[in-house]
Amino acid sequence: MDPPAVILPANDVFAIRSQRLHALSGRVEALSEFLAFMGQVAQAQQAALERGAPSWLPEPEAFTLALEHGMPPLSVDALRRDVDIRSELMAFLDALDLHVGEAQRPLVEQLRHMPEEERKGLVEALLDGQPGPEESRGAMPLLAAALQVAWVRLVRCLPDAPKRPSDETRTICPSCGAPPVASVVQNDAAYRGARYLQCGLCATQWYLERARCSVCEHTGKLKYLSLQDDDGNPWLPVQAETCGDCHSYLKIMPRELDDGLDAIADDLASLALDLSLNEEGAFRRSGYNPLLIVGE
Amino acid sequence: MTLRVTRRQFFKLGAAGMATSSMAMMGFAPEPAVASVRHFKLTGAKITRNNCTYCSVGCGLLLYSRGDESINNIDDIYHVEGDPDHPVSRGSLCPKGAGVLDFIKSRSRLSHPMVREPGSNEWKRISWDEALDRIARRMKDDRDANFVSEDENGNTVNHWLTAGFLAASASSNETGYLTHKVVRSLGMLAFDNQARV
Repeated sequence: MDPPAVILPANDVFAIRSQRLHALSGRVEALSEFLAFMGQVAQAQQAALERGAPSWLPEPEAFTLALEHGMPPLSVDALRRDVDIRSELMAFLDALDLHVGEAQRPLVEQLRHMPEEERKGLVEALLDGQPGPEESRGAMPLLAAALQVAWVRLVRCLPDAPKRPSDETRTICPSCGAPPVASVVQNDAAYRGARYLQCGLCATQWYLERARCSVCEHTGKLKYLSLQDDDGNPWLPVQAETCGDCHSYLKIMPRELDDGLDAIADDLASLALDLSLNEEGAFRRSGYNPLLIVGE
Repeated sequence: MTLRVTRRQFFKLGAAGMATSSMAMMGFAPEPAVASVRHFKLTGAKITRNNCTYCSVGCGLLLYSRGDESINNIDDIYHVEGDPDHPVSRGSLCPKGAGVLDFIKSRSRLSHPMVREPGSNEWKRISWDEALDRIARRMKDDRDANFVSEDENGNTVNHWLTAGFLAASASSNETGYLTHKVVRSLGMLAFDNQARV
C-alpha cells in the first residue's frame, strides 16, 4: 500500500509539541529556559486553537478549485491579507498571559499595543522568511505562534487533503505554500521509514522520497551529519541532510530513534547542530522555523 | 549541472547572529547554546539506494555507511533497511534480505576472482583482467569449435549450443535487455536468469 501523500495536522498538534518542548527543556541544559517558555507558547497555541472557529474562511468552491488544480488552497501569498490575524493574536496572547514570566511580559504588551501597520509589516516579514527589524524581533515568534494557530485552524477546515504535489512544487507545503521546517521519518507500521516534510507554518506533512535533497532534488551527494557527545553517543534524534550539489541542508528526524519527537520542537532544541554547521560553512540552512528568528 | 532551486530561501543560524536573534531579544541568553557546541563532534553517514541481490523480486534497500572517501577511509556499511519508497517492496524485506548485512560482512564472501585449474584441488587468486581474458578466450575457442551456421534443412542459423548462460537475479530491465542482446547475438540458446536462491 502506498503511504499517504499528505497528512494534515491533528487537533492536538500544539499540545503534543508543548509536551515535547517541556521534555526537551529537561534534556538540553543550554536551552532549558528557552525551551520551557516555548513549551508555554505551544500550550497557549493549543488553548487558542480550541477556542472557537475561524472567523474568516475562503469560499468553499475556492478550496475545491485549488485542490483540483494542485494549488495550495491556503496559500500564504493569497491569504495573508484576508485572515483575521488580529483576533487570532489576541486570543493567543490571552491564553499565554497566564503563564508568561516577568521577563517576557513586555513582549506580550508590545504586541497587544502594536499599531496595525507595524503588525502587518511583521506578518509580511514572517510569511516571507525575513528577519524583520531588530527592535521587534523578540515579539516576532509570538506573532508567528498566532499565525501558526490561524493556519492550522484553516487547514483543519479543508474538505480534503491536498493531492500529492506535482514535481515543481513538491518541496513547498501543498496546503499553504510555506517552506518546510524539517523532515520526519515515520515509524507507523503502515508506512514505516517513509519521509515527510513538515510545514513550519501549518504543520501539514507531505511525502518526499528518502535520500533526496529537499531543495534541488538531487540524490548524488547527500550526507547525513549529526552531533555526538563526548562519549560518542548520538545526541538528539536529529540529523542534517546535507546536499553537496546545492550546498544546503534540512534537518531530518527519524521517529525510530525517538517516537516522541516534534519537528518544530526538536529543531529548536538542536540549535547546536545549526551552529556547528554554520561554523563549518559548507551548507546553508533551508528549513524555516518562525519560532526562532536570526538576523544577519 | 543545472540546479533547480525552487521557491526556497536560506537562513543563517550562526553564532554571530545569536546576540540579535529573537531568542536573545526574548530574554534568553544564547551564550550557553553557543558554548555547548564545543562538547559535540560532527559525524557523517551516507545512505545509498540499492537492490537486494537474493532473488528476482529485487526489493529496494537503503545501505547506511560511515566514512568519508575524501580522507581515504573505506566506507563501512553498518545498517541496512528496506527502502520505503521502492514501488514493489515498500520497505519490507524477507528474512534473507533483512539479514543482508551479515552477507555483506561475511568473512567467506568472495571479493575477487579465483581459479581452480583442471586437475588441481587448489583455488588461486587471479586479477580481474586475467579472469576476463580467460573467460573470453574459452568462450571464443568453444564457439569457434562448435558454432552451427546452418541447420539440417539448409537454413542459415546462429546457434552455439555447447555453452549456456545464467544471469543474476536482481537485475533491472536495462540489464536484462543488455544480457539478452549480448548472449543471443553470440548464438547461445541455453539462457536463464536466476529467479530465486
